Amino acid sequence: MKISTNNPEQCAVATEALKQVIDPEIGLNIIDLGLVYRIDFPEENKIEADMTLTTQFCPMGEAITGSANEMLQETFKDYKIELNLVFEPRWGHHLITEEGQIYLNS
Amino acid sequence: MIISGNSPLQKTTSWKVVLPFYMYAAVAFLFSCLLLLLSGDSFQLHYFNPGTLAVTHLMALGWGTMIILGASHQLVPVLIEGKLYSNTLAWLSFIFAAVGIPLLVYGFYIFDMGWPAQAGAIAINLGIISYMANLAISMARSTKKGVYSAFILTAIIWLLLTTLAGMLLVFNFTHAILSSNSLTYLPLHAHMGIAGWFLLLVIGVGARLIPMFLISKYTNEKILWTIFGSINLGLLLFIVSALCVHHHIPSIIPALLIAAGIFLFGWYCRMAYRERIRRQVDDPMKISLLSVAMIALPLFFVVALIALVSVSGSSNELVLLYGFCIFFGWITAIILGMTFKTLPFIVWNKVYHLRSGKGKTPDPKDLFSGTQFKWMAVSYLAGFIVFALGLFLQQILILKAGAGLLVVAAFLYNLNIYKTIRHKAVSI
Repeated sequence: MKISTNNPEQCAVATEALKQVIDPEIGLNIIDLGLVYRIDFPEENKIEADMTLTTQFCPMGEAITGSANEMLQETFKDYKIELNLVFEPRWGHHLITEEGQIYLNS
Repeated sequence: MIISGNSPLQKTTSWKVVLPFYMYAAVAFLFSCLLLLLSGDSFQLHYFNPGTLAVTHLMALGWGTMIILGASHQLVPVLIEGKLYSNTLAWLSFIFAAVGIPLLVYGFYIFDMGWPAQAGAIAINLGIISYMANLAISMARSTKKGVYSAFILTAIIWLLLTTLAGMLLVFNFTHAILSSNSLTYLPLHAHMGIAGWFLLLVIGVGARLIPMFLISKYTNEKILWTIFGSINLGLLLFIVSALCVHHHIPSIIPALLIAAGIFLFGWYCRMAYRERIRRQVDDPMKISLLSVAMIALPLFFVVALIALVSVSGSSNELVLLYGFCIFFGWITAIILGMTFKTLPFIVWNKVYHLRSGKGKTPDPKDLFSGTQFKWMAVSYLAGFIVFALGLFLQQILILKAGAGLLVVAAFLYNLNIYKTIRHKAVSI
């Protein structure tokens, strides 16, 4: 899935950081799982990101979102991070990236 | 950190509510297996005897029901996409059931249906009413109402009917409430619990969780509604035929309707497995899938039993085999598998949710011992086969050997539960 952004270069850095966040049940990172929809840089030193969970009452939700926030903060130290949890559109298997499909097929 | 959005993060059920159910069930499973070992000779008598009744109720209530109550407090919010209504009601259901089950089982073991059994039955019913109120209100408040909610709510209604009927049967020993003796109503009470509670609940939860854990693309609500209708209709016809003297329902019809539901669920699981994205299936998932196939065993015995009863009257061995395959086969297999798909995540969340992102943590599957799990699975399967053979041949030594292997399995299960629950935070 292609992540929506207004700054492709910075988005690539954020994406690499978020690849460190692994869904504990599936064992796949949240980027390849297709949980991150948008990473914008609306103003200097600010990140706005939209992400979802595989299910709204995912027992791991707090751990995954907390981890995503920590990773972004660690990478963009002086930035204000605004992480939005959204459930529209709902997550589906079609959002898993090609790399993710390969990992799950292995 | 700002986490907001159109649907803020929902708090899941507290581990403090869920873990006591898991611990209680693990101990009940060990005691059930020990009781099986100590009362091996009970399985050479008619099934209505103190040892068999005590083991059956400890397995059905202490093991099967307690772990399902615990797990469902955690999993139902995921299925219905709604928060659990009350932790207090969850606690009440635990306390009432935890006190009531040993009293009832003790009453059966000494075959005294006086105050311990009666107080136990009342306490269990209060626990189930608390559980039902909690889940029914949670579902009413949830915006998502569908086939999974229908399975779960109907299963809970059947559970309450089962425990209420059980309470009546206990009181009937001393107060003659019913028109016949309690033994007459035993098949009715047992099947409301087996098909109404266990089967509907396992199918309802499994239909959502099995594709979810396999990351399968397969969904088919139409099949699930057909299964729902088929099992409920079969059970209702069974009750009508058991209660009404003037009926013309052949006993095979309810059995066939329930069998059709089980067959369709088997088909559903097969399709979910075939269309899975995740190729590797872990050991707990393999045991859970095996348990779906194991439903075929009691089905085979019930058809054989109906055939045998219509020809020669009755067969005690087949009744015992039928019950054993349900409680120690299908229900135990699914719990042994699903425990290690759910408990490590609950404990992982308890230990690591505030540490996420602050260094690498173990995976949930690292919280229990895979080697112990494998040995548990081997001793369980061997024990199940040996004990079933002992029942068929009515040989006490084979029965004791099978029960001994099941004790080993239960002991390893308890060790692994203890290891998982006692896990302390480590960084890797």
